[in-house]
Amino acid sequence: MTRVRVLLAIAAAGMVVGLWFALTAPTDTLQGEFTRIINIHAPSMWLAFLAFGLTALGSAAWLIRRQTRWDRLAEGSAELGVMFTAIGLFSGMVWGQAVWGRAWDWGDPRLSTTAVMFFVYVGYLALRAATPDPTVRARRSAILGVIAVVQVPLVYFSVNMFRTLHQTQSIRPDGITMPREMAIAIFVNVIAFTIVYIALLVARIDVAKAEEKAAAELALAGDAVKPPRLSEVKDV
Amino acid sequence: MSFWSQVVEITRVDLKVERRLGDTMRIVLPFAVVALLVFPLTLGVDLSAISRLGPAVFWAIGILFGMQVALRQAAHDDPERRDLYALLGVDPAARFVGRTLSGGVLMLGFLGVLLVAMIALYSPELPDSWFGPLLLTSILVAVGLTELGTLAGEVTADLHNRTALASLIIAPLALPLVIGASSTLEAMTRDAGILPWILILVATDLALAVAGVGLARPLEEASR
Repeated sequence: MTRVRVLLAIAAAGMVVGLWFALTAPTDTLQGEFTRIINIHAPSMWLAFLAFGLTALGSAAWLIRRQTRWDRLAEGSAELGVMFTAIGLFSGMVWGQAVWGRAWDWGDPRLSTTAVMFFVYVGYLALRAATPDPTVRARRSAILGVIAVVQVPLVYFSVNMFRTLHQTQSIRPDGITMPREMAIAIFVNVIAFTIVYIALLVARIDVAKAEEKAAAELALAGDAVKPPRLSEVKDV
Repeated sequence: MSFWSQVVEITRVDLKVERRLGDTMRIVLPFAVVALLVFPLTLGVDLSAISRLGPAVFWAIGILFGMQVALRQAAHDDPERRDLYALLGVDPAARFVGRTLSGGVLMLGFLGVLLVAMIALYSPELPDSWFGPLLLTSILVAVGLTELGTLAGEVTADLHNRTALASLIIAPLALPLVIGASSTLEAMTRDAGILPWILILVATDLALAVAGVGLARPLEEASR
C-alpha cells in the first residue's frame, strides 16, 4: 500500500503542476478561456489510447502466457481507459458547446468514433462482469481485448480519413502547429495524467489481487456454511 | 476430413438446424418488418421524409435485427456439442468459417426479404442500376455481421445474459459496416464513387475473418 500511496502523492503533485501550466498558458484569441479545456481533453484521450493499447497487450500476453498478472493488467487498464475516454468525451462536449455552439456534432467523425470506442470497452467490462469463473473470464475478455483495439487507430486517424470539424493532429513529425507555451502546457499535463494513470493502475492491480485472495477464502467458508433448504427443515 | 469438407458439413448442419427451429424467418424477420412499420408512424404522414429515409432505416433495422440472426439459437452450441466437435477433431477455424457461411446465407435471405418490405412500404427514391451495388453491399454486410456474431456468440457462450451482452459487443464494432452500407447507396444517389465504401466493407470483413480464424483455438477454449 505504501507504494500506491507514494504514487498517488506524486500523481497529485503532478496534477497541481499541470493545473498551474494550464491556467498560465496563453489562450486562443477566438476561443478565449475555453482554450484551457484542451489541457484536460487532449491528455485524457492520449491516456485512453495508451490504456486500451495496454489492454490489448495484456490480453495478447494472457493468450500466450496464461498468467493472471496479464489479465489484471488488461482489466485495470480497460477500466481506466473507459474513465479517461469519458473525461475526454465530456470535456470535448463542453468545449464544443462553447466554440461550435453545440455539444455533439454529427459532422464530426472523431466524436462518433470515440463514442463507439467507449461503448466497445463498456461491452468489454460488461463481459468481464457477467463471467463468474476467473479463467473463463480471462480467456474470453482476452479475445475481445485483442479485437477491440482496432477502434484506437480508427479514432486516431478519423480526422485524416473523413471530412471533419475536428482539427487534425497538432503535434506531427513535421512540427507543432500551436504556440510553444500551449504545447508545453499540454505536454506537462500529458505527463501528469500519465502518472495518475500509473498510480491508479497499480492500485487497481492491488485491488484485483486482494479480490482474488478474498474469493479464494470465501469459497472455503462457503463450503462450510450452507443455507438450509426448505425441504430439509422438518418442523415448519 | 479436409478443412473445406468440415466447413461444408458444419454449414449444412447449421442450416438444417435453423430450418427446423426457424428463428430467423419465423421470429426475427417478422419482428424486423414490424419495426419497419412502426418507424413511419413516429414520423407522421410525411411521405417525402419516409421515402427519403427508407434506405437508412433499412440498414439500421437490417443491422440491429441482423444481430439477432447472428446470435440465433442454431448458432449456439451447448457444451456437449462443443466437446463432441473437439473429440471428433473438428478444426476450430473450420467451425468459424462454416458458421460464418451458414449465418451469411441466412443473413442475406433476411436482408433480401427486408429490402422488398422496405421498398413496398417506403417507396424510396433509389438511384439507377441500384441492384448490383446493393446486392454486393448486402453480401459484405451479411458476412461481416455474421463474423462479428460468431465471435461475440463464442465469447458470451452459456452466460445467462448472452443475447443482450453479445448485442452490446457487436453493435459498436459493427460501425464500419453501418457506415459502409449506408454510404454506398447515398454515394450512388449523389453520383459519387462507391469504391471507398465498398473497400471499407471488404477491409472490415477481411479483418474479422483474420481475427476469427487466428483466434479460433482460444475461441473454442473460451466457449467451454
